Amino acid sequence: MTVYLRQVAAIVRKDLLLEVRTGERLAAMGALTVLVAVLFHFAIDQGLVRMQVLAAGLIWMTILFGGMLGMGRTFEMEREQGAIQGLLTSPVPLDGIYLAKVVSNFVLVTLIEVVALAAYWLFFGFNYGNDLLLLAGVLGVATLGFVAVTTLFAAISAQTNMGQTLLPILIFPLLVPVVIFGVTATGRIFASRPVQEVEGSLYLLAAFTVVALTAGTILFRYVVEE
Amino acid sequence: MSLARIRWMATVLGVLGVAGVLVLHWLVFFWVGTERTMGIVQRIFYVHVPSAWVTFLAFGITALCGAAYLWLRDERLDWAAQSAAEGGLVFGAIMLTSGPLWAAYAWGTPWTWEPRLTLTLLMWFVFVGYFLVRASAEDRQAGKRMAAVIGVLGALLIPLVHVSVLWFPSLHPQPVVLNVEEGPTLDGDMLITLMIGLLAFTLIFFSVFCLRYGLEHMRYQRAIATREQPRAT
Repeated sequence: MTVYLRQVAAIVRKDLLLEVRTGERLAAMGALTVLVAVLFHFAIDQGLVRMQVLAAGLIWMTILFGGMLGMGRTFEMEREQGAIQGLLTSPVPLDGIYLAKVVSNFVLVTLIEVVALAAYWLFFGFNYGNDLLLLAGVLGVATLGFVAVTTLFAAISAQTNMGQTLLPILIFPLLVPVVIFGVTATGRIFASRPVQEVEGSLYLLAAFTVVALTAGTILFRYVVEE
Repeated sequence: MSLARIRWMATVLGVLGVAGVLVLHWLVFFWVGTERTMGIVQRIFYVHVPSAWVTFLAFGITALCGAAYLWLRDERLDWAAQSAAEGGLVFGAIMLTSGPLWAAYAWGTPWTWEPRLTLTLLMWFVFVGYFLVRASAEDRQAGKRMAAVIGVLGALLIPLVHVSVLWFPSLHPQPVVLNVEEGPTLDGDMLITLMIGLLAFTLIFFSVFCLRYGLEHMRYQRAIATREQPRAT
């Protein structure tokens, strides 16, 4: 078990180190996140609608698009350099590779969420409610589910000639539960509603995340095997 | 199973299925009673519910055969999964068109974002993705495996569909046949018509399924024949 964890940690470390050194994905995701917020400013007539009412939905759509942009490239660098062969033939079990990719993607998307929350606060003065700890919990659980699904499908779309064009078609139908319950929960937290009103959504998000992560861990080996 | 046998089965099932559909339409138009509150449009129900049933059945077969294919790697399981998915896509389209036609009158709006509607639409898109991945995979064998993975994941949505219906009281009519507590709440003649609809649609589905399966069988034989030709000459 400790060997397995060390192997996973090694891949996570490699991915994050590459990300720190090149900053490729993070720069693209961060820029997209801020630019989407800018476009929303012009896309919504703020004389008609109060932005705060839409806050949860806007933030979630931004996270989804920004996250998808970066995660579509999860296996890109390995494929371009042929390093995927080395990774697949290494003694790390295939599910370990999947979990490592989930963890490194989770870190990236979490950073994007911080950028998104900051950008929306800066541009629109959004009120994020009183319970920031609960907000972090909801975002964390939902993000893990989002990342678990997207990482698996990034491995699939990387092996097609449609590439990243295919990714949204494959993941959006499956991500609807994340959007429904994520937006409901965060919207209520923003409105400082009592915890009881958030619990139901949080449990459903957790259930989705557990199913997605388990299925991804089991199914990943069939996607990448040679 | 031999090709001749598959063809024979497809023909028998097809003839029975078409006969069943003819009987169903006669019953729907001339025999079954008109529902009191919804009136004549309620008769769409006898097409909508059987197509929904077949869609779920087909997606179940796709997922099971897909999972079994990943495990056993028997080409026949992949043919079955693919054949069922195509049938499911077609009957899903019938379900998704007949539903709004009925709802436009009964609910006053063709579409609502009710959980069961939403998730069946999404399930349908999952299987559109199923065929896109198959078609665009750089490696055919990988395409089959990846499609199977999508099939299995798509079917994991079906329990979520059901849970979402139970947890969110909504516009969609509650189950009237598989109602555990009170037994079927449909009137006798309506229940008979619905059962015949279910039977007829199921027969047609399996007929198309056999035809499609036979086609894959023939492609496979052809692929083997063309591969062996150079060796023979």
